[in-house]
Amino acid sequence: MDEEELVEYFKAQMRKNPDMASAVAAIRTLLEFLKRDKGETILGLRENLTWATDCLTGVDSSVAVSSGGELFLRFISLTSLEHQDLSRCKKVMEERGELFLEKISMSRTKVAKLCHTFIKDGTKILTHSYSRVVLRVLEKAAAEKKRFSVYVTESQPDSAGRQMAEALRKLNVPVTVVLDAAVGYVLEKVDLVIIGAEGVVESGGIINKIGTYQMAVCSKAHNKPFYVVAESFKFVRLYPLNQQDVPDKFKYKADTLKTVQNLSEEHPMIDYTPPSLITLLFTDLGVLTPSAVSDELIKLYL
Amino acid sequence: MPGPDKETDLTERIEAFLSDLKRGGSGTGPLRGSAEMARETTSLLRRITAQARWSSAGDLMEIIRKEGRRMIAAQPSETTVGNMIRRVLKIIREEYARSRGSSEETDQQESLHKLLTSGGLSEENFRQHFTALKANVIEAINELLTELEGTTDNIAMQALEHIHSNEVIMTIGRSRTVEAFLKDAARKRKFHVIVAECAPFCQGHKMATSLSKSGIETTVITDAAIFAVMSRVNKVIIGTQTVLANGGLRAVNGTHTLALAAKHHSTPLIICAPMFKLSPQFPNEEDTFHKFVSPHEVLPFTEGEILSKVNVHCPVFDYVPPELITLFISNIGGHAPSYIYRLMSELYHPEDHEL
Repeated sequence: MDEEELVEYFKAQMRKNPDMASAVAAIRTLLEFLKRDKGETILGLRENLTWATDCLTGVDSSVAVSSGGELFLRFISLTSLEHQDLSRCKKVMEERGELFLEKISMSRTKVAKLCHTFIKDGTKILTHSYSRVVLRVLEKAAAEKKRFSVYVTESQPDSAGRQMAEALRKLNVPVTVVLDAAVGYVLEKVDLVIIGAEGVVESGGIINKIGTYQMAVCSKAHNKPFYVVAESFKFVRLYPLNQQDVPDKFKYKADTLKTVQNLSEEHPMIDYTPPSLITLLFTDLGVLTPSAVSDELIKLYL
Repeated sequence: MPGPDKETDLTERIEAFLSDLKRGGSGTGPLRGSAEMARETTSLLRRITAQARWSSAGDLMEIIRKEGRRMIAAQPSETTVGNMIRRVLKIIREEYARSRGSSEETDQQESLHKLLTSGGLSEENFRQHFTALKANVIEAINELLTELEGTTDNIAMQALEHIHSNEVIMTIGRSRTVEAFLKDAARKRKFHVIVAECAPFCQGHKMATSLSKSGIETTVITDAAIFAVMSRVNKVIIGTQTVLANGGLRAVNGTHTLALAAKHHSTPLIICAPMFKLSPQFPNEEDTFHKFVSPHEVLPFTEGEILSKVNVHCPVFDYVPPELITLFISNIGGHAPSYIYRLMSELYHPEDHEL
């Protein structure tokens, strides 16, 4: 499978199912790549997969794709430790890969099941930009006949918040779109803040659309609970201490990285929110406090 | 015939326990401490394991879950009952896994690692029959009972590390654990204790009497004076009814005020709570979180005219968020509030969080 086919397959996956997380599409693509790989050694396989992940991050530079790729690589390493023979190993990998995909496709449902009990009648929720996980949580809460209303930030520069508002209107949830600058103004009216995450870092903090950090700081100042909903495959092995520590390759869109010379003139698309501002994380592994996240990562990677 | 007799005896005992639970909750505060409640629940569960009819671990877990749900429904505010049930369910799972020969460690928790390496969507249904299972489970429950008996002593043994000479300690209301803790320290050190009376039940008075009998210099203050006196206090040591899954507390009313005053003065807040008080609930359950009792203590019925014009409430519990807490002292040592999730994963299985 060469680069073009790989990228085509990835884009086709995203087109076919716009509701799928980009990390899931990346893992599906890598699994397909694995099936078609003609390598003879495990080391060769790993190198090819690393190359494939790099191609994919060249298309979609988000943290989620990178973490999905790393997770898949880890999965390959763990499986290859058990079986020495390559062909048997590949068979086991393919089976387990399908199973893994099946499990993570159920992760959003698990998250929604955990989170919707925190939404009560009459709650006013603030959210940021467009997140499919948050949408699923609010869908579940609406299905449980809870009465709540939502404020969504517009989330420039791509106005993703309007897309979220449209989706919520279809669920008959009263929704108001507010300016990104109006977060501080609106916070006194809301009861809780729920946002998604593109990546969950080792410290328990999150990487998400730009404007999230601001919202977190304001919620802390107003003493409102700040909840994050994320699936477990978004856990990534980064430990940023401040905004500058987040690698440039995640901050800007893939095309921007390729074409622009001076990155300091571009607007970053994501920011980092430290764990001290987060109240709870809802994942398919359960409801976690930010300190529990590093435990999960250690269990996997070490 | 011994069979039906044992069964009726068992059902009688369960019914007696349930009615006890229902009665015990109303009135002027808890009639008995959580430790006794935990012991009684565990003894009852041991009796169910010994006397009820079951052939596989799955059956036993179903029976215990069913009875457990009834017990929790009888008195939702008494969380130790639910906690003990979850502990016993975890014991059954562990003994079952041990009998099957599989290593218990890796099978238990959901984790990213498990997601990647497990071979199948395995649904462990606990259907296999093992003859030694009953004896193993009962032995493990006995170990649990021994642990429960030693909790107060284990906590009190740590007192000398935390309390130093000539310190001023503040506490609120009456906690048997804190009482034992302070008395143990008093054997070797001299210190002062300030007790907030904790209206309207004023359990603080009993605490002060008991402490002063052991030779500790005690002062009783009203709840309103907590902030005023806090600047002279070195440490705040309190007990709690429940420790929640996020590290927060459900404690007697007035504790949040105490915690905020301590935070303002940067005074360490230490909670003496045995492990059986750790509950996998989060503070989002508004309906079951609070308990209100008769407002007679707040505004007596003899007040007359005013009663028709005002609403009087008497809540029993308070929520204290984990940011205000410095340290938890339990029978297995001292922990930070951010570590509670780890203790939770060791005590309970995630599938038992919702009975």
